[in-house]
Amino acid sequence: MSASAAFADIKKMLDECAPGHTLRLANHSRVVTYNNKLYRTLPKFDNIELGHIRKMVRHLGINQECAKRHGVI
Amino acid sequence: MQDHYKPITTVQGVPSGNKLMTEASVESKNHPIMITLQDTISGDGFLAGVTLSGRALMRKEDDGKWWMYGVRPAAIAESGSNIEEAFLRFRQKYKETLFDIAQESRDFEAFRAEVERFFYEGDEDEQAWGVALRAVRSGNIAPPEPFSKLRRESPESRPSQIGVERLDRKDKRFMSSDNVTDTFSVAQAA
Repeated sequence: MSASAAFADIKKMLDECAPGHTLRLANHSRVVTYNNKLYRTLPKFDNIELGHIRKMVRHLGINQECAKRHGVI
Repeated sequence: MQDHYKPITTVQGVPSGNKLMTEASVESKNHPIMITLQDTISGDGFLAGVTLSGRALMRKEDDGKWWMYGVRPAAIAESGSNIEEAFLRFRQKYKETLFDIAQESRDFEAFRAEVERFFYEGDEDEQAWGVALRAVRSGNIAPPEPFSKLRRESPESRPSQIGVERLDRKDKRFMSSDNVTDTFSVAQAA
C-alpha cells in the first residue's frame, strides 16, 4: 500500500473529521489548528508520508476512525 | 496497514515450570528517546538562544522507515532509513519550525511565548512514552539494535524543559561553557 497520501485527500479528511479547523502556509510548513491546538509541521508537499498525518491526527485529537475511513492514516 | 492504536508494548517473559526465569525479552514498538538541541535564532529586532531537553518516540513503521515522533515538543514527526537519519531530519524540522515562529513573531516576548507553547502542548504520545519507558525498565535489559550503541540516560537526570533566552542584551556575557551539542539518547533506568 502507499506510504503517503495526496494533500487533496488530507484536506477532505480534515473537512469531514476536523470541522472548524484552519489551515495556512508558513514559510517551511503547513500550519493546522483544531481543538484549540496547533500543528505547525505538516509538510508542504503534494504527497505527504502517512507518519506525518498520523502524528497530526493524534496531536490535534482528530477522530481516528474518521481519519481511517479516508485512508490517510 | 499496521494498527497504530493497538497496545504499543508487549512484554514476553519465558518462565519454565518451577525453574527461574532464564530468559526474558521485552519487545516494544516504541522506543523512548531523550534529545538535547541548541539553536540561535534571529528574529525581528532580536537574537534568541533556544536550548531544549526533550523527549521523542522512535518507531519502525510498516513503510520500513524509522519514525521519530515528538513528545516534548509533540507536534513534530520525521522519518529516515535508520535512526540516525530520522534524528537528523527531526532536528532539521525542529529548526525550521523555530524559523517559522521567529518570522511570525513581532518581538522577542511573542517568540518566547510561542516557542514555549509549541514545546509544552502535549498529546497522547506522552503517555506512550511513559509506557515504553516502563517496558524498558521492567525488562532491565539492554536496548535492542540499533539502539544499543546510543548513550543511555535516566530521564530523572535530565528533565524535559526548554529555555528561550534573549542574547542581544548589553549585560549578556558569552561563555564557551554555554555551548550544547545535539544529542539523542535512550531513556533508561535511573
